[in-house]
Amino acid sequence: MKDTRKLLCGLLLSAFLLLFFLPTHGQAEELRILYMNDFHGFAAPQKLLGSDETQGGIAYVAALIDRLRKEKPTLLLAAGDMIQGDAWANIFQGKPVIEIMNTMRFDAMVVGNHEFDFGQEALKQRILEAGFPVLGANVSGFSALRPYVLKEIAGLKVAIIGLVTQDTPTATRWGNVEGLTFLSVADTSERYVAELRNKVDIIVVLSHIGYNADMVLASIDLIVGGHSHTKVDKQILIGDTLLVQAWEHALVLGVLDLQIKDGKIIEAKNRLEEIRPASMVKDPSVAAIVEKYSTQVNGALNKVIGHTEIDLDGDNVRVRETNLGDLIADIMRKESSADVAIINGGAIRTSIRRGAIKAGDIYSTVPFDNYIVAMKVSGKQIHDALEHGVSAVESKDGRFPQVSGISLTYSTSENPGARIRAITVNTDPLDDGKTYTVATTDFLAAGGDAYQVFRDAIRDSGGFSVTGGTIKSPGIVYNDAGRWLNEVVVQYIMGQKKIGPKTEGRIRQVDCNENICK
Amino acid sequence: MKIFVNDKEIYLLPGMKAIHAVIGAGLMDQIESGRRVYDEWGNEIGLNGEFVSDTKIFVR
Repeated sequence: MKDTRKLLCGLLLSAFLLLFFLPTHGQAEELRILYMNDFHGFAAPQKLLGSDETQGGIAYVAALIDRLRKEKPTLLLAAGDMIQGDAWANIFQGKPVIEIMNTMRFDAMVVGNHEFDFGQEALKQRILEAGFPVLGANVSGFSALRPYVLKEIAGLKVAIIGLVTQDTPTATRWGNVEGLTFLSVADTSERYVAELRNKVDIIVVLSHIGYNADMVLASIDLIVGGHSHTKVDKQILIGDTLLVQAWEHALVLGVLDLQIKDGKIIEAKNRLEEIRPASMVKDPSVAAIVEKYSTQVNGALNKVIGHTEIDLDGDNVRVRETNLGDLIADIMRKESSADVAIINGGAIRTSIRRGAIKAGDIYSTVPFDNYIVAMKVSGKQIHDALEHGVSAVESKDGRFPQVSGISLTYSTSENPGARIRAITVNTDPLDDGKTYTVATTDFLAAGGDAYQVFRDAIRDSGGFSVTGGTIKSPGIVYNDAGRWLNEVVVQYIMGQKKIGPKTEGRIRQVDCNENICK
Repeated sequence: MKIFVNDKEIYLLPGMKAIHAVIGAGLMDQIESGRRVYDEWGNEIGLNGEFVSDTKIFVR
């Protein structure tokens, strides 16, 4: 009797497996794929730079999805970088985004490089909370990620494989990906496509590797991409592979309607639905989640994180050394273990009065989404950067430097480019030929406020390499693109509880006449 | 990594985005006045888009 039961169970299991894993044949089947990528936690509608129109808003996307789902069998996919970015998501390490995605009933998501920005433990927790599989076929050492998921919908068998950029270890804080290996995207894709090709009707790659890299992945029916934030209005076909991508920040929703027959896509119609709140309705459940966490964000911003015994001067950061400039530069230097730090005064926007410091004070003072970069530069390059920094002090330009680990004197009686009189690093004169590590922001590192020197330093930095799981760069010593400077400052003040920074004569203007400076 | 903005060579660190490339090319004022960033196939890309080396983008 037991043997008969075993045999029956075996037969039933085999029949089930055959039913699932053998592709269908016969008439064409319809499948709608709705997709988003690079949401970055931008839940609320926003105005784009240079435009007055409001666009986006995840509650509007959700309502649209609800309507579109009713029309055809549908899969809802996310191509990575969903949980990190806007403070609304960051303050809770991405938890609100997962709650919303669960409510919207996503079918699968690939992990993006920024999903690692809160560290592996936080990401594991988010994956546990997710009511959908989170994929990452080319990530080795992180068991919470699945390589692929099989879906059966409207008689079609669909394999969805997840791939994330191999640059992930160099684009987040190095500790965030410690112990993980990001395998070759091409090799991983080839491996899983070979494994799944004869078992399903179509293979979809959810890719977070960027549009250009998507183009060189072959033998896949469809790539739903992300990472490059590309607004692909109409799908393109590379060989037999369809490529789509839906811009960023829930500004659009991707809608791809497929006709599939005998394991082939025989017709594809893609469009991007613009999310324009003025003419759309909200999904009330998702709107309630957005509102719930917005209220909590306001609460978090009103939280007292420490006290200052004196006023912190953010009003004069474009003309002279201030204690607030010193404080922020000191934090940057400490965080990155650099020799010196240089930040543009324009990055600091307001003062903080003596007394309690709220988190919101820091977000107002350092409002930009800047992060810390530290690189190796020569003493000559530091000199040139500081010359540039003091070159437009008369016009209160944002380039005026606030510094740490360094002191300088300059004279405005000289022409821009020849104003620096002396520079010391700690107590030693700056050595033009010596190499120093300098912490700055990504904005200045990119050449913002015309800091050409840092841009050149990046060019000469020698790039990054990952060897045996260890990241090496000849020129870059710190690069945490996933942690904003304001968050670092908040953490620092919370750790100190009480601060009272005073100016130390790090930047002194001296009057010079016939080479005699006072 | 090296990319091109309006055919001008710009170097970026991993993790840097379209906005860094535009800053490096000195074109941020054009974005603020309403111009947009496009790839070499004419697709618009967001300011937070990330690249692979040798990508070509255009501000127009």
